[in-house]
Amino acid sequence: MHNVGFALEGAWKVLLAGVILGAGLPALFALGIRSLAWGAGGDAEVHGAGAGPAANPAGKVLAWVLFAVVLLGVVLGITFIVASGFGKALSFEHVFPTIVDK
Amino acid sequence: MTETSVILALVVVTALGFDFTNGFHDTANAMATSIATKALTPKVAVALSGILNLVGAFLSVEVALTVSNAVVKIQDKSGAPKPELLADGGKALLLIVLAGLVGGIVWNLLTWLLGLPSSSSHALFGGLIGASIAGLGWAGVNWNGDGSKLDGVIGKVILPALMSPIIAGVVAALGTWIIYRITLGVAKRFTDNGFRWGQIGSASLVSLAHGTNDAQKTMGVITLALIAAGDWSDTKNIPFWVKAACALAIALGTYLGGWRVTRTLGKGLVEIAPPQGMAAESASAAVILASSHLGFALSTTHVATGSILGSGVGKPGAQVRWRVAGRMILAWLITLPAAAIVGGLMWWIGDLLGGGLAGSLAVFVILLAAAGYMYLRSRRTPIDHNNVNDEWDEARTDERVPAGVAN
Repeated sequence: MHNVGFALEGAWKVLLAGVILGAGLPALFALGIRSLAWGAGGDAEVHGAGAGPAANPAGKVLAWVLFAVVLLGVVLGITFIVASGFGKALSFEHVFPTIVDK
Repeated sequence: MTETSVILALVVVTALGFDFTNGFHDTANAMATSIATKALTPKVAVALSGILNLVGAFLSVEVALTVSNAVVKIQDKSGAPKPELLADGGKALLLIVLAGLVGGIVWNLLTWLLGLPSSSSHALFGGLIGASIAGLGWAGVNWNGDGSKLDGVIGKVILPALMSPIIAGVVAALGTWIIYRITLGVAKRFTDNGFRWGQIGSASLVSLAHGTNDAQKTMGVITLALIAAGDWSDTKNIPFWVKAACALAIALGTYLGGWRVTRTLGKGLVEIAPPQGMAAESASAAVILASSHLGFALSTTHVATGSILGSGVGKPGAQVRWRVAGRMILAWLITLPAAAIVGGLMWWIGDLLGGGLAGSLAVFVILLAAAGYMYLRSRRTPIDHNNVNDEWDEARTDERVPAGVAN
């Protein structure tokens, strides 16, 4: 059953990439939303009795930084689809992704 | 016009028909969650998905000619048809391909009628396997590969089908759980709005990846038929009109929207909230892209379903309708053999009538009759963009309640 071995070998890689990109990016996005609420203050988050915390501009900045990171991940995903369609591949050899020939 | 070119025309039309069913059967994979959470209206969702499928199909310029090599032995390594199948003007090969395609379409339509998200690639491969067994015997199928890489029916179809829903489900469950943990206590207007946007983005990515993956298969099959009939000889390229026709067929199919399947995926399995929708679609997109990068072939349908189930498991207190899930898994298990039986039967009928024009025409007419019948059946309980989001349990009042059950 050589195929089972090959399949398991592929499966854990897919699982790893899936957890990092498929659960990690949404987690960052969720953090972004949390910061957005933090930045808005008031009733955006559950708070004790009385008026909510004051608005905090840092929250807004942090939120958009996080959204930008997520967006970057998505752009990488699209680049990957397009690149492999044209017979190219994404290489992470130099840490930042570059498009190379397959 | 020779006999072969008429048969070839039938094969091309049937292949485009398969591509079309592939589109509307799989709209749900990308868009069911966005429709269910009302992040997009149903019409806008299918239009967006259709356009992205069209774009995706054009992006896939990689040669997909050898796509059927993983399961059946009708081509050599370069993608050219086996010479022994070309003896009679290519008719032997054309009949196998035609019968296989009909098997795939019939099964796709039947599962659509039942609202079950089954895999279109399994249906296509099943049809081809059945037609090859009928036409070439058991040895005509590449069951287990040659041991050098992941290959054959077991390696390319069955094992990925077992593993991919589980992987996608684990990723989606984890994602959902984390998202709910992180946004605990944040006002609903922030979470719902934000995650709707995230959901639209991730669902779009799934649509694009679907167009790239699935339209390719039909392009490969049509080009194979063209080569067999002697109308094309380049195994390195696909004619532009084939690419354009396949892209349009899958996009139109997607735009039509397989509402019956969308309803099951979006409302039947789990009541989806925007954070779950985003987690499910992100998991699908990541798993599909990662696996195609690693050459680990899998079905978009299995991944999407696994993700949605996972998003139900990961949300604290969410309810998963395991009965619906069970029905669906049963459909997955029988997709390949059922399509194979139809494919084999079609080949047998075509061969009985001489295997030439008469046989091919008969097979084509049977396809039209079956498709027409199932369409008419679907009109009895129509599901479209108006009622796709109705409450699941209300719609099931026709369900039998055993006598004596107190409720």
